[in-house]
Amino acid sequence: MGIKGLTKLLGDNAPDCSKEQKFENYFGRKIAIDASMHIYQFLVVVGRTGEQSLTSEAGEVTSHLQGMFFRTARMLENGIKPVYVFDGKPPNLKKDELAKRFTKRTDATDDLAEARETGEAADVEKYSKRTIRVTQVHNDECKKLLRLMGVPVVEAPSEAEAQCCAMNKADLVFGVATEDMDALTFGTPRLIRNLMAPASAKITVTEYDYDKVLEGLGLTVDQFIDMCILCGCDYCGHIKGVGEKKALQLVQKFGDMKNIMGSLEGGKYVVPEPFPYEEARKLFKEPSVLTGDQLPKMTWNAPDEAGLVQFLVEEKSFSEDRIRKAIERIKASHGKSTQGRLESFFGQPKPKPAGEKRKQPAAANNKGAASSKGPATKKGKTGVGGKN
Amino acid sequence: MFEARLTQGRLLKQVLEAIKDLVTDANFDCAATGFSLQAMDSSHVSLVSLMLRSDGFDHFRCDRSLSMGMNLNNVAKMLKCAGNDDIITMKAEDSGDTVTFMFESQNQERISDFELKLMDIDSEQLGIPDTEYAATVRMPSGEFQRICKDLSSIGDTVIISVTKDGVKFSTNGDIGSANITCRQNTAVDKQEEQTVIDLNEPVQLTFALRYLNSFAKATPLSTSVILSMSKELPVVVEYRIAEIGHIKYYLAPKIEDEEMEENDG
Repeated sequence: MGIKGLTKLLGDNAPDCSKEQKFENYFGRKIAIDASMHIYQFLVVVGRTGEQSLTSEAGEVTSHLQGMFFRTARMLENGIKPVYVFDGKPPNLKKDELAKRFTKRTDATDDLAEARETGEAADVEKYSKRTIRVTQVHNDECKKLLRLMGVPVVEAPSEAEAQCCAMNKADLVFGVATEDMDALTFGTPRLIRNLMAPASAKITVTEYDYDKVLEGLGLTVDQFIDMCILCGCDYCGHIKGVGEKKALQLVQKFGDMKNIMGSLEGGKYVVPEPFPYEEARKLFKEPSVLTGDQLPKMTWNAPDEAGLVQFLVEEKSFSEDRIRKAIERIKASHGKSTQGRLESFFGQPKPKPAGEKRKQPAAANNKGAASSKGPATKKGKTGVGGKN
Repeated sequence: MFEARLTQGRLLKQVLEAIKDLVTDANFDCAATGFSLQAMDSSHVSLVSLMLRSDGFDHFRCDRSLSMGMNLNNVAKMLKCAGNDDIITMKAEDSGDTVTFMFESQNQERISDFELKLMDIDSEQLGIPDTEYAATVRMPSGEFQRICKDLSSIGDTVIISVTKDGVKFSTNGDIGSANITCRQNTAVDKQEEQTVIDLNEPVQLTFALRYLNSFAKATPLSTSVILSMSKELPVVVEYRIAEIGHIKYYLAPKIEDEEMEENDG
């Protein structure tokens, strides 16, 4: 999943690209969410003890619904407008990666059987987590749930990450919520991590700014993609011995994948065969996505209370009390007008000219601070004249 | 080198109390014209703009413009250690990484120095256009503070409507609703007790009371408050500080959301 070591690399080399945000500050924002990735997380984490998951009376797993319902409810209560994007057909290049994951799952299934026999509780939990797989049923149930909650759902033609990113680029959404760093490789302008973390975990939300990522690393768009491919992505094999640091060095030194490949030839690093970096690059740059009119209209409707109770309580054995209370809270925040932001009236804030900052030579800006302040510090009531 | 001395030290204490709830970290800008600050709260819903002009200080020296990043809570902590009648002097070197607050008691018997570490803060500046507002209300600041406090015990948003007769504050909550109207009143002699409405066009806007309550922390700084409003624009809540400057707060209104369908299900 994702790009190996990218988070750490960014932390070390482009510390300005990420900043912490409060969950509450996303009110009124439209956020595209990679549904498939989160469903997987819910299945792994929510309501899990040992090998046992949350299930309905009929014994079907309901962790994904539990996670999806309550975390989405929390966003809606806070005025966030989520759009869920589901994976479509995986690109051909990802088949190898998927096959690898399949083997890992099969291995884990064997290990799990062994662990059960030896009775190692910790191992049982570890291996049973590894056997988890998101099925079509999980996806369909989540889609049904989201539609009942009044939340828009987008079905991507291929990778959900790429679709989310395209929506962010087109300014249809404020940012993309995912834990998967390859959203940045696709060029997501604003990646938001930990937005779906439970409130109880008290994890701060972190925002990554794509432009600042490139600026911090000193790379172009293409070079950044190449670096991610070298780090190890889902589409290409991985060169043994090349980690994130080496990948950055190589790109910075040789600038281009062709030169890098040339430099590695005959060296100690063995490039796997095949290493379809050009195709991988293309998938990152021109992924198959829906655009413009192909996308469904995004509206956020009031939740269908009867439908939700029928589905979650009757069919999936959720506690009626908790479901109804959550619906109540969603409804309460739904009709409300949204809080505006100053940017929407006054335009985006601009970073202050660097010359004004402390510790920097201040020669050129003796009066700078005063004059750049603009009307904010102007004195007195506004004068006479026509109104706008 | 920057140095500013204020006999009325209390004023600086009150300024800090008036902004620290809204903003955690901010850059103070020192220039020949004065000591100022512009900062938004973390959600970018409100903005505070402070200006203390150099001529309002007893002594003001600023050789070159400086921007000093401070944690406002920490500044407030230090200023709390100053007596209300103390004279406060702020000092900073051009390339230093600290600012010093010096407190002198009236009789000069007690002199304290508090040195605060400065921090690097990425500051963003919002360009606020100079607009002519459709309605301006000047009213006693204590009255405004009380209205905001009273209404927030009933609801969390307030609708402010200004007509030529008066200004009405309304709210709605689970337990019921409330309306408070202040009539235009220019009859009283004392200017600070007057309610004066300057109207080009009636205006009605909705705001979150939480922010207005934070703004009202500036009440001790001025006897009156000036609200300036236009349709679909942030309100300006201004407190003029006698002979030295002002604090202005900007608050984005609440807006109807077109992408949410009517809540009738």
